[in-house]
Amino acid sequence: MTKRPRFGLYALVILSVVISFLPIIWLVLTSLKTTEGIYAWPPQYLPDPFTLKNYINIFTNSPELLLYVLNSFIVALGCTVVALSFGGMAGYALSRLGMRRAGVLMVFILAVSMFPPVSLLPSLFQTFLNLGLLNTYTGLIIAHTGLFLPFTVWMLASYFATLPPEIEEAARMDGMGFFRIFWSIVIPLSWPGFVATGLIVFIFSWNEFPLALVLMTQNAMRTAPVGISLYPGEYAFPWETISTATVIAIVPILIITAIFQKQIVGGLTAGAGK
Amino acid sequence: MTEVKLDRIGKSYGSVEAVQQFDLTIREGEFLVLLGPSGCGKSTTLRMIAGLESITKGDLMIGGTRMNDVDPKDRGVAMVFQNYALYPHKTVFDNMAMALKLQKVPAAEIQDRVGRTAELLGLTDYLHRKPAALSGGQRQRVAIGRAIVRTPDVFLFDEPLSNLDAKLRVKMRMELQELHDRLGATSVYVTHDQVEAMTLADRIVIMNGGVVAQVGTPREVYDRPADEFVAGFIGSPAMNFLDLMRDDTGRWITECGSLVLPSLPVDAGARRQVRLGVRPEHIAVTAGGQPQGDLDYQAEVLLDELLGADALLSLGVGKARLLARVGGTDHPVQGDRVAIALTAAQLHVFDADTGVALRD
Amino acid sequence: MTNMTSPLDRRRHLTGMAFITPTMAVIIAILVYPILQSIVLSFGQSSIDGSEPYSFVGLKHYATLAGNERFWNSLWVTLVFTGLSIPLELAMGIGLAVLLNEHFRFKGIARLAVLFPWALPTALNTLMWRWMYNTDYGLFNAAALQSGIVDRPINWLGDETLAMGSMVVVAVWKTSSFMALIILAGLQSIPRELYEAGRMDGMTRWQEFREITLPLLKGPILVALIVRSMDALRTFELPFNLTDGGPVTATESLSLYAYKVIFDFIEFNYGAAIVVVQFLVIFAMSLLYILTLRNKD
Repeated sequence: MTKRPRFGLYALVILSVVISFLPIIWLVLTSLKTTEGIYAWPPQYLPDPFTLKNYINIFTNSPELLLYVLNSFIVALGCTVVALSFGGMAGYALSRLGMRRAGVLMVFILAVSMFPPVSLLPSLFQTFLNLGLLNTYTGLIIAHTGLFLPFTVWMLASYFATLPPEIEEAARMDGMGFFRIFWSIVIPLSWPGFVATGLIVFIFSWNEFPLALVLMTQNAMRTAPVGISLYPGEYAFPWETISTATVIAIVPILIITAIFQKQIVGGLTAGAGK
Repeated sequence: MTEVKLDRIGKSYGSVEAVQQFDLTIREGEFLVLLGPSGCGKSTTLRMIAGLESITKGDLMIGGTRMNDVDPKDRGVAMVFQNYALYPHKTVFDNMAMALKLQKVPAAEIQDRVGRTAELLGLTDYLHRKPAALSGGQRQRVAIGRAIVRTPDVFLFDEPLSNLDAKLRVKMRMELQELHDRLGATSVYVTHDQVEAMTLADRIVIMNGGVVAQVGTPREVYDRPADEFVAGFIGSPAMNFLDLMRDDTGRWITECGSLVLPSLPVDAGARRQVRLGVRPEHIAVTAGGQPQGDLDYQAEVLLDELLGADALLSLGVGKARLLARVGGTDHPVQGDRVAIALTAAQLHVFDADTGVALRD
Repeated sequence: MTNMTSPLDRRRHLTGMAFITPTMAVIIAILVYPILQSIVLSFGQSSIDGSEPYSFVGLKHYATLAGNERFWNSLWVTLVFTGLSIPLELAMGIGLAVLLNEHFRFKGIARLAVLFPWALPTALNTLMWRWMYNTDYGLFNAAALQSGIVDRPINWLGDETLAMGSMVVVAVWKTSSFMALIILAGLQSIPRELYEAGRMDGMTRWQEFREITLPLLKGPILVALIVRSMDALRTFELPFNLTDGGPVTATESLSLYAYKVIFDFIEFNYGAAIVVVQFLVIFAMSLLYILTLRNKD
């Protein structure tokens, strides 16, 4: 009834927003400064003079930084496609095909998803080395798929469980087989679940670090987070280049998150609630 | 002296008026039912009395004090919610005791009051259970008990039985009736179920589109509906409506010409067109009979549905269609030709444009 | 129990098996087999490329581990980091969730802002913070010096205590949003009528929070806590990019230490032993997680 003071509320909201954005804003500002501006005293808060030189430099002098972003794209996209295909089928089997011990399998999948990635490294590195999968997209895509399949299966299985079974039953009465039902009934009906899951898996893969670090040892094959982190400069870090490359590497994720905010939040919270 | 007075109360959300000019005095000890379809403003009215919704126009007086800006807990009202709104993590005892605890009532007295209420409602054995471990009916009793414990001046019920299955609803309805007889507190009860309204109410307020359509005892709203909406809303199955035109000779004829009334039971003034209302239970059906009186007609049974004690007949009188309710034994069946008789005193006539009932 | 003799059921069952096989194959190859192999490696001596054949050495590496101060240090660092960041994230998460549950304009933007730190790669988040922490050119020291709060630059990442604090700040910044989103979903599932009942009972805002909100959020909070604890226990790129475990080993987490042993010191089998211990710690946590979820149902 009585309206509480809105001023305090807005102050808190603005504070949270500013703190959330602060590192990103500072990074973007840095990328728009000249080298002198970055290292000037008194410090420049706003770029003066404002310059796009760093961006132009990346495109002309450091194409490998763009290559990292491309690698990330290929790996994240590949991982998302494979994880959705495999995970969709598995989730359907577990939620709808009356598998025996489906519950036990779900718990098993949940348990293995909690393995620390670093625990996998000695063995994965050795195996990939022997199979010639180091420094290949295929290798990292398989590794990421393994890492994020458990999440995919859980998300999609719980999504399928919300579909009314009558539709599938009607399809069976119409004479469809299980494959046909999955392909032409379940998948079209579940696309919101696939979109939410796919977006999150894409982000997970794009952001993954330890496996990408170890399984891609050649500079040209590195993903964006790894490549930028290891960018040459043992002692003096070239911040003007790093900040610019980072901005380029996070823009895709920022855009995806902004557009699909609802789906991502919905997927995340549904996943955690299970 | 707890009379609740709603003095031209209104609620608007921006330009949308949810409740307009609600003007009514609820007498002490009265059981008042707010009845209407969903979205008619009945819940909003109740919530304004509770203090959960602000009042944008008019004055709310409880026991002679203006309560518009008083906090819900200080209005002397208690509410039973539709979904019970029991605290799921607290025991039955704690649910019922919460308001008293917050009022800093001494523990011994809380114990005593909750204990007595629980006994009244048959909840004594369940005091230490949590709501999840109770049946629907028991939860409903806890929700009522929580209100009783506070010994409020006014009880507010927001569709309290709508989450129960049909059988339980009848049982709880009777319990509520007994409870009201025993406690005698002023009660305001919101429902969309006309049976609940008819059985529980001292007076019924029928609302439609944020406006009060009629206030009256159950008998009044059934016998003398104020307008077409009330007439159609009260009664099951719903009243039959027929459009009548006056011809040059002063007779009233249905559009298709199959029913002719020599005159109306009320004065229609200069109107050339009215709507006629006939309740299905007021149509007398005689199998194989011939029409005799002025209000007798020949009809054909198009469909017969047995309900048990009663049967419903869909009748065709020429092109006009009427639904009649007759006894369930040896009733006419599909294809039978029957005579039907209407009684002038049981006919309702409404203005064709405004829907207002015409009375002499 | 399904009756497997019916051909209808058999077909359904076979389809199920066919549908689940690719997933199980990948999970076993990428998650299960490597863990088992790491266990085998930790009990033996071999080389990464297979030039030195595997020989069993029993508990040798575990004995080394038990006597290695740097290992205990990394375990301690990991626990301190987890113990410090989780309660802070929880407090921030609850605060943010309650805030985002209020009605105000531009709520979508606010929620998006909170989501961003979670959505961006930790490695790059960490780089951004490292730049802000920079002793000579960082934002924090610039602001602190200019405003006169301090007269000498603070070495945020060069002091043992400050470095741990700085790392915790980054973690809290990054993951409070995750906590907030989960808790927010929990908040939104609390029926509004309960708060109305609370108002009828005469609760104040604070009493509503304590008597209704908090107890009903127990489930989501527990889930968020455990998920986040496991993340914190395996933190890797945060110290890798922020401090490289320094100064000296003040922020060297278990994951980072294991990585260095395997790939910098090329002590493959000893590294496997560390990794197995870490796996056991986290596996114990995940068991706890699953048991909690079981009890919830």
